[in-house]
Amino acid sequence: MWSGEKSIGLSKLCILLFIIALIIVVVSAPWLTHWFVGFSQNDLGGTESFFMATIYLGSIPAAYLLYNLLTLIRRIETGEVFIAANVERLRRISWSCFLGAGLALVSTFYYIPWLFVFVAAAFMGLIVRVVKNVVAQAVELKNEADYTI
Amino acid sequence: MPIVVNLDVMMAKRKMSSGELAEKIDISQANLSILKTGKAKAIRFSTLEAICKALDCQPGDILEYREQD
Repeated sequence: MWSGEKSIGLSKLCILLFIIALIIVVVSAPWLTHWFVGFSQNDLGGTESFFMATIYLGSIPAAYLLYNLLTLIRRIETGEVFIAANVERLRRISWSCFLGAGLALVSTFYYIPWLFVFVAAAFMGLIVRVVKNVVAQAVELKNEADYTI
Repeated sequence: MPIVVNLDVMMAKRKMSSGELAEKIDISQANLSILKTGKAKAIRFSTLEAICKALDCQPGDILEYREQD
């Protein structure tokens, strides 16, 4: 039988899989970029270092995002949902997305398809930001309800 | 907040302890403490009614409006 507990477990598993994927991408970045530049039909000669710079720099907000996401899901697991600390985590997640989007935008100067990553990351950041605003309102409502005697 | 809760004054007048009042109006002592210390953001009519009944007083004896500076 599917339950809320199992759903949180699945979310945690997905986050851990993303963390593993991020580690693999960072460790294998030199080979990965070399393979991609060779595989691509576009002339990407001399852009390997740029790709690696994007991957390494992008891994910082990505790691920060995943860390905050893991902390958030752990809090939700313990029943701490509508608290100010979670609003802060969501704010950090949102800014991590925007930071990644900014990096992708800058990277379009050597590889135009980074534009898709920029749009996706910026859109995700926007959605998380709206969710953060909703949770912030919910925290206020909960505080009011808790202090209604 | 310009609304002041004078519950402790009324309890002293009626010589009623917090534990006794909490039991009579069926709320926890922690919630009664929130009410007494003015930390409460709102009070239900049902709670107010129970307090007035237990302390034999009017809502105005418990709640007071004071102009803020």
